[in-house]
Amino acid sequence: MELVTEIAQLVVNGLMSGAILAVPAIAFTLIFAVLQITNFSVAAHIAVGAYAAYVTNSVFGLPIILAILVAFVVSGLIGVVADHLALKPLRSYSALTVAIASMALNLVLENILRFCFSNNVQGLSVPVYRDWIFGSIHVAPQNVYNFIIAVIAMAALFALLAFTPVGKAMRAVADNSKLADIKGINPEQIARLAIFIGMGLAGVGGVLIALDAAIEPTIGFRVILSVFAAAVLGGLGNIPGAVLGALIVGVGEELSLLALPVAYRSAIGFAVIIVALLFFPRGVLGKR
Amino acid sequence: MRDGRFNFSRRALLKTAAGASAAAFFAPTVVRAQLTGPIRIGGLMSLTGPGGTFGPIMAKIQQQVVDQVNAAGGILGQKVEYYVEDDQTNPDAGVLAVRKLIDVNKVCAVLGVWSSGVAMPTLPICWQNKVAMIAIAASDTLAEMPHEGYFLRTYVPVSAQGEAIGRFGLQRGAKKFFFMAAQNPFSQSLLKGLKSEVEPKGATVGSIIYDGRKTSFRSEVDQALKEKPDLIMLGGWPQDSASIMKDLYRNSYGGLVCGYGTAITPEFIKAASDQVAEGVYTVFPSVAENSDAYKHLQRLTGTESLLDTNRCQAYDQINLALLAVAAAKQATGEAIQKTIRSTIGGPDGEVVGDVMTGLKLLSDGKKINYDGASSNCEFLPNGNIPHAYFRTMQIKGGQLVAV
Repeated sequence: MELVTEIAQLVVNGLMSGAILAVPAIAFTLIFAVLQITNFSVAAHIAVGAYAAYVTNSVFGLPIILAILVAFVVSGLIGVVADHLALKPLRSYSALTVAIASMALNLVLENILRFCFSNNVQGLSVPVYRDWIFGSIHVAPQNVYNFIIAVIAMAALFALLAFTPVGKAMRAVADNSKLADIKGINPEQIARLAIFIGMGLAGVGGVLIALDAAIEPTIGFRVILSVFAAAVLGGLGNIPGAVLGALIVGVGEELSLLALPVAYRSAIGFAVIIVALLFFPRGVLGKR
Repeated sequence: MRDGRFNFSRRALLKTAAGASAAAFFAPTVVRAQLTGPIRIGGLMSLTGPGGTFGPIMAKIQQQVVDQVNAAGGILGQKVEYYVEDDQTNPDAGVLAVRKLIDVNKVCAVLGVWSSGVAMPTLPICWQNKVAMIAIAASDTLAEMPHEGYFLRTYVPVSAQGEAIGRFGLQRGAKKFFFMAAQNPFSQSLLKGLKSEVEPKGATVGSIIYDGRKTSFRSEVDQALKEKPDLIMLGGWPQDSASIMKDLYRNSYGGLVCGYGTAITPEFIKAASDQVAEGVYTVFPSVAENSDAYKHLQRLTGTESLLDTNRCQAYDQINLALLAVAAAKQATGEAIQKTIRSTIGGPDGEVVGDVMTGLKLLSDGKKINYDGASSNCEFLPNGNIPHAYFRTMQIKGGQLVAV
C-alpha cells in the first residue's frame, strides 16, 4: 500500500513537472516544424523569459500574470531579432550548421543576461502556499497553478493553429513551404511568427520554472536536455507529441527514483532520447 | 709605491670579471630573482558558473592589493603583475585557464581556486610546474593528494564544517539528521564529517546526494521527510537549496534546517523568499573580525558591514604570496610555499595584517607573522589550517543575524 501511495505521489509530481517541460518543448518542436531547424537557443530564451518576469514582478512589483505576458512578448521579440541576426543568414547551409550556430547564440544570450543581471540568483515575489493534502497525496498549489497556466498556453496555441487563418498558414508552411508559397503564403513572415510564438512560449516556460526554482542565467540550460528529450520522444515537429513526450519524461524522471539514486535522475533524459531514436524514430505519435 | 686604484693588469681584470660572472651565476636565486623581471601572480577565479557570485569580488580585492604595492614601488624593485583567468567553476575550463597562467603568463603562484572540482585537476599541474596554489577549495581530498607542499588552503576542509554542523544539531537536541547535498566533490566529505561527529553520540544520519542542475527537488524532499528527521542539513548551492527549502515549507516541515556556508547566503534568501527562509540556520567558517587584517580589508573595500569569508581569504592569499616573495627574496612557487609555512605564517615575528606594513618591516630586516582576515594563516604540512573560526547565524526577517 505504501508503495502504491509512493508511486501515485511520484506520478503526480511527474505530471506537474512534465506540464512545465511541455511549454518549452512545444516551442522547440514548433520552430522545427515550420523552419526545419533544431534551435538550441530555446534554453537562453527560457532564461530571458524568467528574467523578464523577474523585472516585471520583483523589480516593478506587478502581478505575476502580467509578468507572464511580458515574458512571452520579450522572449518572442528577442527570439525574432536573434534569429534574424544570427541564424537566418545560415539557413541556406545545412541543418547541422544552424543547430551549431544556435548553440553559440545560446551562449551569447546567456552571457548578455549575465552581464545585465550578474550571476546572483534571483527569485519572483510570489507567496508560497502550504500543500493541499488529498488522502496520502500532497500537491503544491503553485504546481497546480503552473499546470493550469501551462495548459492555457498550450490550449491557446492549439486554438491558434486549428481555428485561425494564421494557424492554417503556419500548418501549410510546416507541411510544404514551397507549395504554401505558390498559394500566396509568405513563408518568411510565417517563419518569423513561428519564432515569435515559439520563443515566447519558451519564455513562459521560463517563468513557470522560475516560480519553483531560482533564476540565474543557466536556468534554461538546466532543463534543455529534458526539453529536447520530450520533443524527440514526441516526434520533432509534432506539437501534441511534444506535450505527451514532456509528460512521459516528467513522470519517467520521477518514477526512476524507485530504482535509481536521485543523482542519476538526469540520465533519464538521455535514456529517453536513445529509446526514442531506436524504437520510435518518428516519435510516439509519429510525425505528420 | 703602487697605486692600487689604477694598477690593474689586463690579466687581473679578466680574472676579476670572470670571477664576478661565476659568482653571479652560482649565487643563490635570491640575487638573480631581484633582477629577472616582474613578480607574476595568477588568480584562477570563478568569474562565471555557480562560483561566479564570489570570483569577481575576490579578483578585485587581489588587484587592489597589487595596485597598492605597485604604487609604493613594488617588491624588491620589481612590479607585481596580476593575471586573472576565469575557470567558469568548471574543471575543463579550469585546466585550460591554469595552463595559460603557468605556460603563457609564467606565474609563480595561483590564488583563488574556489571550486574543489577545479582544484582537483589543476593542483597536479601546479605542483608539477613548481607553482604554489593558495586555494579556497574545501574538499578534504585535496590535502590528501600528492602536492609536495605546493598546496595551501586558507579555508577549513569540508569535513570540519560537517562536524561543526553536527555539533550545532546535537546542542539543539537533534537525534535524527538528514543530509541533502548537490553531487559535487565535497558532499561526501561533508557527510563524513557530520557522521563522525553525531553517530558516536547515538544520533542517526540519512542522506540524499542529488543532481544540483535540476530545477525541481520535490521527490527528493519527499524521500527526506519519510525519515522524519529533526534536522535537515542543506549542502548544495543557493539556487538548489532555495528550491528545496520551498518544498520543505510547502510540506509544513517543522524541524530544524541548517545549511552549509555556500548554500545559505543572501542569494538563498532572495531566491527562497523571506517567508520561506525564515528560521533557517547556517554554521559556517567565519572570519577573524577582530584582526588588523580584517580592519585593513574593510578600509580597502570601503565597507563597515560584515565581510564574507571569500573576500577575507582572497585578501589573505595575495598578502601571503607577496610577503613570502619579499621575505624569501625569490619569486618562485617553492620559495612562496616554504616561506609561508616557515615564517610568514607565524607564529614568531611581529604581527602584521597588511602587505604594506609587512613589506616595510621586512625591508628593515625584521621577522613578521601575517595574521589574516580569515584566520591566523598558520598552515600544516598538508596545507590545511589547524585553527578556524565558526559562526552560527539564523535568517530572521530576511536577514542573516548572528545567534
